[in-house]
Amino acid sequence: MKSLNRKLRIAVITTHPPSKGTLNEYGFHFVKALRQKPEVEELILLLEELPDEQSYDFDESGAPVSVRQCWRFGDMTNTLRLVKAVRETKPDVVLFNIQFASFGSGKAAAALGLTAPTLIKAAGYPTVVLLHNIMETVDLNSAGFADSRLMSTLIRVFGNIMTRLLLKADLVALTIPKYVEILEHKYKAMNVILAPHGTFETPPMPNFELQDGPSRIMTFGKFGTYKKVEGLIEATDLLRKNGHPNVELVVAGSDSPNTPGYLENAARVYKDVSGITFTGYVPEEDVPGLFQDSAVVVFPYTSTTGSSGVLHQAGSYGKAVVLPDIGDLSELIAEEGYTGEFFEPANTDSLKEAIARLLDDPELRGQMGRQNYLASCGLPIDDVVDWYLLHIEELIKEREV
Amino acid sequence: MVMEEKKFEGIDVLTLEGRFDAHTVGAVNKWLDEVTSKLPPQVMVNMEAVHFVDSAGLAALVRGMKRSRELGGNLVLYRIQQPVRIIFELTRLDKAFDIFDSEESATASFAIPYVMVN
Repeated sequence: MKSLNRKLRIAVITTHPPSKGTLNEYGFHFVKALRQKPEVEELILLLEELPDEQSYDFDESGAPVSVRQCWRFGDMTNTLRLVKAVRETKPDVVLFNIQFASFGSGKAAAALGLTAPTLIKAAGYPTVVLLHNIMETVDLNSAGFADSRLMSTLIRVFGNIMTRLLLKADLVALTIPKYVEILEHKYKAMNVILAPHGTFETPPMPNFELQDGPSRIMTFGKFGTYKKVEGLIEATDLLRKNGHPNVELVVAGSDSPNTPGYLENAARVYKDVSGITFTGYVPEEDVPGLFQDSAVVVFPYTSTTGSSGVLHQAGSYGKAVVLPDIGDLSELIAEEGYTGEFFEPANTDSLKEAIARLLDDPELRGQMGRQNYLASCGLPIDDVVDWYLLHIEELIKEREV
Repeated sequence: MVMEEKKFEGIDVLTLEGRFDAHTVGAVNKWLDEVTSKLPPQVMVNMEAVHFVDSAGLAALVRGMKRSRELGGNLVLYRIQQPVRIIFELTRLDKAFDIFDSEESATASFAIPYVMVN
């Protein structure tokens, strides 16, 4: 089997820092790895519009990058603008890095955006969708997308239609084997593949010993929908009042685009609880320190919508983690070699106990950190990108034949 | 995991046995680095006795295959058993690799006379 004898111009539709949209971290690392590949002639990034004072910056290393800011979260015209941008730039292939709510928090905007892969393929461009979640495994009520059973059912039916539309892409890549099985069985899809999430960095072996000082509990993400800080703040308060006076909590990250103002409100409600820091958005360069200074990383999720990039990050920094005993996260733990302390979702006492078990047992914490570090070293995103390039080359060769 | 290496007619052959995963991938990576530094790399991996491959094992094979092709050669697989073939199909890497049912057909893909070597 021969390799493709030419370099590729690849369009990537994604979020990317400084945009704060979901999957921006994944977009950053995926693009960074893609640029280093000899198969890539040029990357055409079709990115979210930024406010005037912000800009996308790329260093000189790797394949050249051209940026078009051609969609906006919540906008109804995203698909049309993306199709236009693809037609104008004429890439060899178009790759989407998305989840179901990538293009909007409103149902109409989100759904319209998800028609983009179908229409771009119809315009004649090979299309690959990296889909980070599937509707079948999202608890819509807990995730904040539906407030009643009827609405949940309606969204589920609509989600089935959207999934079928997404499956019109040439290839749909999923990060969890169970997702592949579901789409193959339920939708009889023949074009879904497993492509591991991959790890963002392989940092040197971390120091598993913590510095003296307060024990820092940290949570990282975009909060407000299925990532809720109330229980974690209350659990921290309970810990401080019950034998762990030196515990402090860092809530790192910003609001989910679906819940603007959520963290500000939480800070107001819990203003009397001491030892809590809200960092807001964390720039890329501050991420290592954020993890390194933490004793425990907590995932205060009420639901999950896909493989967790934060879990991979926590692993890469050798951190012990506390996770809810639900859905994807427990499966990810089992399938990818991670380990953690589990708590019952929405049970503050259970969360407090899980954190305390790790704070009280440095040996367990260190052991867990070492195992998570080894798990995180499993497959760097650089390797995952190689897999995508192989699939893209196959797609293009099939089309050319 | 057990590894057995052999070489004939310019082809480097590796036979693997057992689990090919993150814990055992290091030795294979080292071997692949060595054999794919020769021009052109011609590499065959016998998977007959491998009953499990994880993403780290797959990634090692992909790296070896990519490097071989970049240098004008190839890395081919043969005698993949059903449980492992399912993993290749799930990831669609069965489309990217040249996979053969026998050592003879794998050898023939390098367009040289096949000679059975123990």
